[in-house]
Amino acid sequence: MIETGIPRLDDFLGGGIPTGKTLLYYIEPGVEGDVFGMQTLYHNLEKGYRGLFITSTTAPEILRESFKELGFDMSRFGDNFAIVDAYSGIIGSTSDERYVIEDPSNPSHIDEVISAAIEEFSGGTITFGSLSTIIDMVGEEKALEYIIKWNKYALIYDTVGIYNFTAWPYSPETLEKIKNEIFNAVIKVGGISKRVVYGQYYGILRVDWTEKVEKAILFKLVRPGGIKAFIPKILVTGPFNAGKSTFVHALSTRAVSVDRLGTTVALDHGYVEHKGFSADIFGTPGQERFDPIIKLLGGEALGVFLIVDSTRPEDFPRAVKMLEMTSRFGLPYVIVANKQDIKGALSPEEIGKMLNVHEEAPVVPAVTTRKEGVFEAFEILIDMVTGG
Amino acid sequence: MLCLIGDWKIEGYSLGIDVLDQKVGKIPPGSNIMIVGPPMTGKSVLGRMFFYNRLKDGSAGIFVSTKDTGEKVIDWFKTNDLDISRAKYGIIDCVSRTLQMDINLQDTDRIRYVSSPVDLTGISVKVNDLLEEFWKKEQIRSIGVVIESLSALLMYSNLQTVFRFLHVFSGRIRSVDAAGMYLIEEGMHDPRTQVTLKQLFQGVIETKDEGGEKLLQVIAPGCKVSGWFRYNFEGAKIDLKEI
Repeated sequence: MIETGIPRLDDFLGGGIPTGKTLLYYIEPGVEGDVFGMQTLYHNLEKGYRGLFITSTTAPEILRESFKELGFDMSRFGDNFAIVDAYSGIIGSTSDERYVIEDPSNPSHIDEVISAAIEEFSGGTITFGSLSTIIDMVGEEKALEYIIKWNKYALIYDTVGIYNFTAWPYSPETLEKIKNEIFNAVIKVGGISKRVVYGQYYGILRVDWTEKVEKAILFKLVRPGGIKAFIPKILVTGPFNAGKSTFVHALSTRAVSVDRLGTTVALDHGYVEHKGFSADIFGTPGQERFDPIIKLLGGEALGVFLIVDSTRPEDFPRAVKMLEMTSRFGLPYVIVANKQDIKGALSPEEIGKMLNVHEEAPVVPAVTTRKEGVFEAFEILIDMVTGG
Repeated sequence: MLCLIGDWKIEGYSLGIDVLDQKVGKIPPGSNIMIVGPPMTGKSVLGRMFFYNRLKDGSAGIFVSTKDTGEKVIDWFKTNDLDISRAKYGIIDCVSRTLQMDINLQDTDRIRYVSSPVDLTGISVKVNDLLEEFWKKEQIRSIGVVIESLSALLMYSNLQTVFRFLHVFSGRIRSVDAAGMYLIEEGMHDPRTQVTLKQLFQGVIETKDEGGEKLLQVIAPGCKVSGWFRYNFEGAKIDLKEI
């Protein structure tokens, strides 16, 4: 069994990838996911395994430099590492690499070179730097045939096949086969977006050698360093005495508040782990004089909870103003209609109307003192943040 | 209804050429426009002036260069006395690394390097990085994007591949209410290529050369059709006359 070298992913995969199996990183366009395959390869070269990398979008020298930028010095692995150059042929230049696909327009030639490389590198790993480019060169139908063949080769020669795949809008049949049929494991590498990409995550879409773990990990790409798991910031805001600190404490496994006589004067901070997501939660003070803090805290946030006191509609204009301060970054938000247990509390629908927000903006009824509605709100926001 | 998410208003994008702007009005946010015409008819100047106009009015610009190096693009503006030194922009250079001018090239604030024009994933990632930077850090909502040119992408990748890339790319432009200009050389590709790609765009700026006389017209969504203009260009200067 080899490891992916991606934080926490090996735990989710039952320790790693068994030899003869294949794993595909299914990357949303626009997300910097190519590093996943590179990191897995490097991790295993370091462990003493042999490794091949198929480059089809960049020249081998540039590729080596890209590894170096990540802090991965490939020169120290000698003959244990080799590149299959599927790029030079595209731009019509020559190559000194051990394996060269001289005619990328010839599918059987591509197959021949890759099959020979897998055979010679038995017992190691073979990483496709960009499977999408290979599919583009060969055509969808033919490419799928070859992939199935290469995966069989991997099984025969005790090799682990790692694929980076950018999920461009190929035909639904091709995407379905890639996602659900021809690889032993598929790892989704996606973007958290609301108009623009604010963060990135990965999680298992399928795996056939262990039980699937339904978890997603947010990550950042560090140069040097590679993929690092990332804990996002979620902002909790709302008018004075709406119950923000209580919400933060109710949601968090551990929390701390900077307050004076029970009123938050700087911030609340909590850490929550729930349904595979972990998050840092920051609560803002509600009084107007602390508004600069909201702007400061909002900078790196990925989502917003707006807490309102359901019995105090007179505070709603202030709530809207606070939401505007945070949501000017286009962040997703959930409105928590707190104090639903108090007589005269307005219904979530009434609150939504009075706040005059988008019709689809979720308004979750809650009693934060009893932790009611708190985790429901969290799940809705996480769904919005990760695109469901 | 109060629009809390995305509470901003972009009036539209001017082309940066007064006579044309007066005639056609502003291009609506989220538009993707193809600039198509034979070589040497000033398509680059049109694209670059659109880009410059974004920077001039305090918006941000993203310039994807598949023809010239990033340095060369910046030099063009300098040479033509167009000051972009304090503007918010990013150039995605798909050329320098391909030419292997310097394999140690590192991204700068202004120029982001992609390994080659084949690396459509890389282009997409760098554009997303810049969009995020402008939106989140700079809080700029009005962004002009230029790809100069699609023809170079089509030299290295097949039509289907480029179509898939542009399908995602143009969608991204729409979702952030930016405006995109995409240059393509007429006569360099078969007619099917142009027709296929046209599906992705909401408008077209067409240039042509008729016996040495240069003509252009603008057909953009929500704008008046400009009709044909006779024009000449020198450096960054374009003189237009309505026919």
